[in-house]
Amino acid sequence: MTLRVLLFGAEARLAAAPAVQVHVPDRPLIRDIRDALAAQHPALSASMAHARLARNHAFANPDEPVSPDDELALIGLVSGG
Amino acid sequence: MNIRVTIIDGPITPSAVPADSGISTTPARPPATAPPTVPAAPGARLTFEGLVRPDEDGRPILALDYQVYDPMATRQMESIARALLEELGLLSITILHSRGQVRPAQCSLRIDITARHRAEAITAMARFIDQLKRDVPIWKTPIFADIG
Repeated sequence: MTLRVLLFGAEARLAAAPAVQVHVPDRPLIRDIRDALAAQHPALSASMAHARLARNHAFANPDEPVSPDDELALIGLVSGG
Repeated sequence: MNIRVTIIDGPITPSAVPADSGISTTPARPPATAPPTVPAAPGARLTFEGLVRPDEDGRPILALDYQVYDPMATRQMESIARALLEELGLLSITILHSRGQVRPAQCSLRIDITARHRAEAITAMARFIDQLKRDVPIWKTPIFADIG
């Protein structure tokens, strides 16, 4: 299946896009999304050491299952305030 | 629960504060007849305003451009505020954060906390800001003055 992952900040600049697609096996876990991002988008691989994945607007654990309708986002180092 | 989070386009000014936000933009004055037995009456109100500095890494800037992942940023700030409110027994937390460009000396973040006593308000303010800078999906990009 193909999923879309939103990008922001430095990660959006590195990928030169506000979102990327990843191809993963059916019924993936969050860890599969991370692995796919690193493998399929080399521009993001350096960010994966510190970036966190969010699912439906909350930080996600590696073992969480992902549904096709979930909103996924890669959250790199933030700098609000 | 008395928590309010608002994302505002541009700098936070008195006119940008929503009229129904409960935030006072004038100094507090004691009520003429303060009821001494109201248990939830605040003994402390703490306000923090984050201002944009005129430089980043020694380079002058025209502005900071804030990008906000709105639904998650709002949810995260509400979650942090709720946890602090419950743990410390605060009375209210109101947060306003900018989206888009904010120029030097302008306000990009305002937090108002009320509590029964100053100690928990001060503790909550420091912890909220620390967690915001770690867990709230907001990014700022400097717009440098020396780039055309």
